[in-house]
Amino acid sequence: MPTIEVSYKDLCGLIGRKLSIEQLKDLILFAKGEIDAADGDLLKVDIKDANRPHLWSAEGIAREIKGRYTSPGCPKYSIGKSSVVVNVDKKNKNVRPYTVCAIAKNLKVTQDVLSQLIQLQEKIHGTFGRNRKEVAMGVYDLNKIKSPIRFTTVKPDGIKFAPLDFQEKMTPKEILEKHPKGKEYGHLLKDCKEYPIFIDSANEVLSIPPIINSNHTGKITEKTKDVFIECSGFNFKFLMPALNVIVSALYDRGAKIESVKVVYPDQTIVTPNMEPKKAFVDMDYANKISGLNLTSSDAVKLLKKSMYNPVVKGKRIEVEYPAYRQDILHQRDIVEDVIISYGFNNIEPVIPKVNTVGNSDEREEYSNKISGIMSELGFQGVLSYTLTNKDNLFGKMNVKEEQIVEIENFVSLNWNVFRNWMLPSLMEFLSNNQHVSYPQNIFEIGDVVLIDEKEETKTRTVRKIVAVTSDSRINYQNVSSVLDALMNKMNLSYKLVKSKHSSFIEGRVANVVAKNKVIGFVGEIHPSVLKNWKLEMPCAAFEINLEGV
Amino acid sequence: MKNYELTREGEEYSKNGLPERNLVKILQSSPGKSATIDKIANKIKNFNIALKWSLEKGWVSKKGNHLTLLKVPEKTDEEVALKNISEGKDVDENTLKILMQRNLVVKITETYKKAEEELVKSGNVIGELTHDIIRTGLWKSRKFKEANVDVVTKKDWKSSPGKQQPYNQFLWGVRKKLIEMGFKEMAGPLIETEFWNFDALFQPQNHPARDWTQTYSLKYPKEGRLPDKKIVENVKMAHEKGIAGSVGWQYRWDPRKAMQLMPRAHGTCLSARTLAGKPQIPGRYFAIARCYRPDVIDATHGVEFNQTEGIVLDKNLTFKHLLGILKMFAIEIAGAEKVKFLPDYYPFTSPSCQLSALHPELGWIEFGGSGIFREELTRPLGVNVPVLAWGIGIDRLAMFKLKIKDIRELFSRNLEWLREKSMLQ
Repeated sequence: MPTIEVSYKDLCGLIGRKLSIEQLKDLILFAKGEIDAADGDLLKVDIKDANRPHLWSAEGIAREIKGRYTSPGCPKYSIGKSSVVVNVDKKNKNVRPYTVCAIAKNLKVTQDVLSQLIQLQEKIHGTFGRNRKEVAMGVYDLNKIKSPIRFTTVKPDGIKFAPLDFQEKMTPKEILEKHPKGKEYGHLLKDCKEYPIFIDSANEVLSIPPIINSNHTGKITEKTKDVFIECSGFNFKFLMPALNVIVSALYDRGAKIESVKVVYPDQTIVTPNMEPKKAFVDMDYANKISGLNLTSSDAVKLLKKSMYNPVVKGKRIEVEYPAYRQDILHQRDIVEDVIISYGFNNIEPVIPKVNTVGNSDEREEYSNKISGIMSELGFQGVLSYTLTNKDNLFGKMNVKEEQIVEIENFVSLNWNVFRNWMLPSLMEFLSNNQHVSYPQNIFEIGDVVLIDEKEETKTRTVRKIVAVTSDSRINYQNVSSVLDALMNKMNLSYKLVKSKHSSFIEGRVANVVAKNKVIGFVGEIHPSVLKNWKLEMPCAAFEINLEGV
Repeated sequence: MKNYELTREGEEYSKNGLPERNLVKILQSSPGKSATIDKIANKIKNFNIALKWSLEKGWVSKKGNHLTLLKVPEKTDEEVALKNISEGKDVDENTLKILMQRNLVVKITETYKKAEEELVKSGNVIGELTHDIIRTGLWKSRKFKEANVDVVTKKDWKSSPGKQQPYNQFLWGVRKKLIEMGFKEMAGPLIETEFWNFDALFQPQNHPARDWTQTYSLKYPKEGRLPDKKIVENVKMAHEKGIAGSVGWQYRWDPRKAMQLMPRAHGTCLSARTLAGKPQIPGRYFAIARCYRPDVIDATHGVEFNQTEGIVLDKNLTFKHLLGILKMFAIEIAGAEKVKFLPDYYPFTSPSCQLSALHPELGWIEFGGSGIFREELTRPLGVNVPVLAWGIGIDRLAMFKLKIKDIRELFSRNLEWLREKSMLQ
């Protein structure tokens, strides 16, 4: 969901109407957008669709809103032919194999045009272009370039040029080490022996994609008239629509678009290709999804507002739609546009008449009952995170480390593993509350995660209860009596069997055995464990597995 | 015999140095042996204490916002004394007085004596473990008496009242309402394969949401198993070539990627599992699912969060019915007076719709995200009827009801607050 900034005046200018902010707020819904903030002339717009880059600029939003008034159908782009040629070297195959290019002439580069162009490029790079991996684009001053342009590769120290915003000439290797963009995106060329490069016939460097443009050819200012645009990457499926998005935005700014011949070792293509794409909608299907009972002529009107060219063929509508869209995978995406065009808030909601019987998950039902019993027994419920750290689970509890579920890309050392038992969570809770009056009786019903090779996810999520009582004087009976009350209320017969556990005082800990299985333990916590948690009050606790009891 | 011991603060200073000493060290290494307060204040724990004592001791001078080092003092009596006390050695009276004033040292003789006497009386074996025995460290040199651990004790019922966790209770209230509306609860594991979290939901493998900055991945265990072969084949087809009239995402689907394990990032994986498990038709399902994402933790992002979501399946369900369900939630659960529907986007739904609800006190709130599941999702899992999918944002409501401003307090670590929080709903 990209958030973009647009100028209110600029947006109204592109739409060709003076609209109030309130009117814009309603109309921008048609571009799946929401105005998050309006600060003077500056609007912050949240575009929800992460798969429609043409909506990520003032030009694209304006086009969509304008459509509501003018029902334009699919826009037509007249594209001239330029004499510019890009020759792609076969060496690029293993580095960055493809490029598609275009030319825009007679641009009036205002501050608005410039900032929208930069923003659109950034958003395409970041989201649709997967942080420049799939799509890297560059815009250059055409009048500083001599065709034919070569898209080839160069050794890391094979050439020197000044990168954007630098005066000093550097080798590509130095750029990767020193230039901020080099540091940010250098990892994309990590495994390459040679780097991709655009260079013109006068040996003037255009750029090292996907890193940086040259300062001489690749700097666009308000004086720039004609530009050369390229997108490079690995897949035409990403590159073509990305180029078309930029081209259609510049077209809306009044630029004259011209094509470029891109010559590959095995094929020659001419780009951009702005020919409309084709699809269809079945009216029966559209009504089945929408529930709106639309006629074909209703749908045609709505489709034209959404920039489709519809032709009714019986029960089917054949449509043409703009070449910059790559998000239509299925006719239901077109149906969605029809419903958006109709207006979500013009539809009367209907509560489906479905007779179903609800119920809760057995575990939750059980947990809630036990939670009730524990509060009757004078215990306060608490809720902890299932994420914690090894020191809490093992070190502080005086128990040997065992294999548990560990997170790779954690954001904090405090929360980098899943707990495999509950008691540490409550010990941590107690250590945070030593200033609060005693006795402190607390419990938690929650999940732990255990390793289990037999399971589909190699893990098992297990529901457990843990309870701790803490006061200036505490003994084993204080807590085993609570356990007994709970077991009786749960109608569960059990036995206590003396055991050993290094978190507890020797001789004061027992296993809880029910249905011939050890389901938990109860005991007095060892003072060395208390000390690890900086606790100065004795504690006794039990922890019981609730699965299958 | 040990007469004095360090307080927690005293212990910290004996380990890391007195704050005023640390201030001297920082100034010493600053250019011109001076610096402004705002530059160094956050470099020292307890800066105010450091400032107070270093001024009082004449080590540092202060002009306006500017501190200058006057001298580098020798090791002081206080510093020597802190170390000695930590090692159980004697210390002179005057220094002790100062340290006790600063609350770095406390006298323990009396409690120690009393505790020791009691222990002697009981034959030098620890019976009941007490606060004093822990505090004085007497437990280290004594044996614990064994308890009759295998004897069952009856509970004395005259204890203080307890309570359920307020947020849990709120969630139970939401659960009850959903059950009344005919929804069945879904459950599933906290650790999922990417297959159920993403692939089965028609989220392509190079989708930005699958980036490591957006979702957690596991260091151990790494890989799980894929489900039933037929389902896997169908999902692969939906991604690579498309099914049911879709063109698909057109890339090579990698089963190894789908096997990667992760803490579930959303509750929608439960809906996918339910659809694959021969659901009832008509059917209504919901889940309140604990979810995990590597967000930077702040007042609006906790370490973990709950998502409330579900599905409605039946033949002949349409977008109108989706709006109907959303409106019902807004009224029944949020007590909303009015609703608005906004176009939205999810990779697994089309059309997609956001629910905005007018809450009597909170104003307009974003209350839910929803849509109709795409065929590319439902068909591979064996479902041939429309599936309405919804998620509602109840944490904002919970915070309102519990009168808290910081989402982290839903998992409150404050016993006083939990005790005092009135029973809600």
